[in-house]
Amino acid sequence: MEELFASLLRDFVDETAPIAREVDGLLLKLEAVWAEGGDAKPLLRAIRGGLHTIKGNSAMMGFSPIERVAHALEDVCAQVENSRGREQASLSQLLFEGCDLLSALIQAALAGSVDGKSADLFVVRARESMEAAAGPKSTPVPVESPSRAEVAGSASPSAADSEEGRGSARIADRDVDDLLELTGVTIVAQTELARVHGRVARGQFEASDIALMDQLLTDLGRTTREMRHKLLRVRLAPIATLFRRFGRFLRDLARERGQAIELCIEGGDTAVDRAIISRLYEPLVHIVRNAVAHGIESVDERTARGKPAKAQILLSARLREGRVNICVADDGRGLDLRAIAAKANAQGMDTSNCSERDLQRLIFQSGFSTAPSVSNLAGRGVGLDVVASVVQGLGGSIDVRAASGRGTVFVLDLPVTVSLQKALIFGVDSETFAAPAGFILDTMESREKNMQAIGRVLLVSWRGDFVRAVDAGRLLGCQGLAQAWARPYAIILQAGNKRGALLVDWFSGVQEIVVKALDESLASCRMIAGATVLAQGRVVPILDCVEVVRRTNVALLPEAPSEAKVEASYDVF
Amino acid sequence: MSSDARRSSGDSQAESTEPLLAFADALLSSSQREPGRAAGEVQQYVTFFLRDDEIGIPILQCREIVRVAAITRVPEAPDHVRGVVNLRGRVLPAVDTRKCLGYEAAPLTARSRLLVVEVAGRAFALLVDRIARILKLATADIVAPPENARVRFAIGVARDGDSTITITDAERILRPGSMAQALAPRSEEA
Repeated sequence: MEELFASLLRDFVDETAPIAREVDGLLLKLEAVWAEGGDAKPLLRAIRGGLHTIKGNSAMMGFSPIERVAHALEDVCAQVENSRGREQASLSQLLFEGCDLLSALIQAALAGSVDGKSADLFVVRARESMEAAAGPKSTPVPVESPSRAEVAGSASPSAADSEEGRGSARIADRDVDDLLELTGVTIVAQTELARVHGRVARGQFEASDIALMDQLLTDLGRTTREMRHKLLRVRLAPIATLFRRFGRFLRDLARERGQAIELCIEGGDTAVDRAIISRLYEPLVHIVRNAVAHGIESVDERTARGKPAKAQILLSARLREGRVNICVADDGRGLDLRAIAAKANAQGMDTSNCSERDLQRLIFQSGFSTAPSVSNLAGRGVGLDVVASVVQGLGGSIDVRAASGRGTVFVLDLPVTVSLQKALIFGVDSETFAAPAGFILDTMESREKNMQAIGRVLLVSWRGDFVRAVDAGRLLGCQGLAQAWARPYAIILQAGNKRGALLVDWFSGVQEIVVKALDESLASCRMIAGATVLAQGRVVPILDCVEVVRRTNVALLPEAPSEAKVEASYDVF
Repeated sequence: MSSDARRSSGDSQAESTEPLLAFADALLSSSQREPGRAAGEVQQYVTFFLRDDEIGIPILQCREIVRVAAITRVPEAPDHVRGVVNLRGRVLPAVDTRKCLGYEAAPLTARSRLLVVEVAGRAFALLVDRIARILKLATADIVAPPENARVRFAIGVARDGDSTITITDAERILRPGSMAQALAPRSEEA
């Protein structure tokens, strides 16, 4: 339990401290906007969103001094919005001071002591300043808490950020020792390989050297896989860090409906990759919100059905066959199959042959919301189809089961760890590929003046250098354009000390992708390192850039190209 | 350990969690159960068509049947692997069953399906012309295959009324050519 709390605490600080810093940055911007006389409303909304998240996170951890300061700052924000001149200046000063205090308190929480006294002093001072600024006549402006959409919006980027840069993981001494030992083994194998390589290079090797290399390569493969496995384990965290965030969320939902809803958590200590945890918050928010909006009946209806007035939402996690199953269950009315069928029919779908299960699964298709009206809860932004695609992107699947009148269960089946990578997505002909960002030096337009063909070698000039270039369509065997090397863009790759340029039709920004290994039946695909699933479930191969660069440096233009064509494309020829 | 988590979730909720949890479990297990192993000598087979030939493989190797969604080509894939498909977030090789079994290639049609099979812990999506039926056969119904080049992959042949069904299994379909190597004992993967 103590370990669980420690990890919850660390997550709280990891997540909340950057929000405080963010708010601080926004305050600076706010002053600039005021100075220019611009519209400060969006900034204020963002600031209040951040404060609200800090407040919520602190409440969940029981750090009421932080909660109180954040709350007081929200009040100040509300008043500052309608203030002018000196009043504005004094209130904004108060905001800065409060923000500093928040940061200090959050850091103090890590050490285990949150100073209630300084918080109380600040709250009192804030109230006095506000009254002074507002003058004797006006009453303090009540806090208008930001709508939930804004809270989710402000919380999510920070959740996504948590994996990058500021994320920290604790690692047991034993694991460090293991990793060091594995690194040692790798270095020994590498040294040994270098020795064999030396003999081969001099042409003085023996038959046994081949066997030795085989052995060394096998060893290297095993140890690097083991290192990877151990490193992935370091990223595990108890899923309670995710589940706990719903305590507050559900309390608000319940209050809005004027109905008691209880959150039950099971298997909170199940360890799951932080990368997965940080990406699951939004999908779960959606499912829980759905459960409350569509599933849980009003108190009257529940009483009439002989159900307890207090509704329940269960979040559970358990390991099953090396994967983690996450359940979101409610004890509501189940799924309205007739409404689903009607909706499907309205969309021109024939449901006469659909089984009950088929009908239930239809809710994951796009454009499927059976909420009779766009209430405060339902009908916001993302649909379950988006939830399904997020889950799929993580290498998981989602399913739903329901029993009429008794409840609904959503099951997310996910891997325990994921392998994430930043990659550039590019297209050639009608196909799409991903290139790991670590290998990408640059992207550029492949204008005629940048291109040069010497014999059958195609070169692109990049920063005063010449880089061997190849048409990605031809290299990757895409079926398409005949004039294969007249692509509009070039991606400059570097692997080791070699460079190569891929000529492509389009590329989009770098994004984080989940790497999936390909089955061994595709081991012959040397240029492909794996695959990822993008939006809409599209599978995209990931390039093995080392191999691609190697091939680029031996690639030649098609034999005997027609001179006319070449000149037409690149008159430098 | 679950009791710890429950304790952490609050006061007197501990007991009240049970019914919902039990309910969730019951719902989950009701439709997740594997098809039971057929009693005695009788086994079930999923049969599909390649051209005009009906071919059956044990239902226990089959995970599901899905419509053919986008198949992503993988550069330099072996001839009989058409590419990869996304099956609820998992990336599986889409195997051209026609190529594996020595039939000529054929374009996809509206009836084309992917039969997802699992062999030695690895899943493959077998592309077939169409799915035929699920057939119950006793061991005695299956006779040795005739000496015919096409049915080298056959374990046996079964008759059902006028139709002849070639019985095989997923391993045999995946075995010929480079697939044999692909199915060699694999190195342990983390």
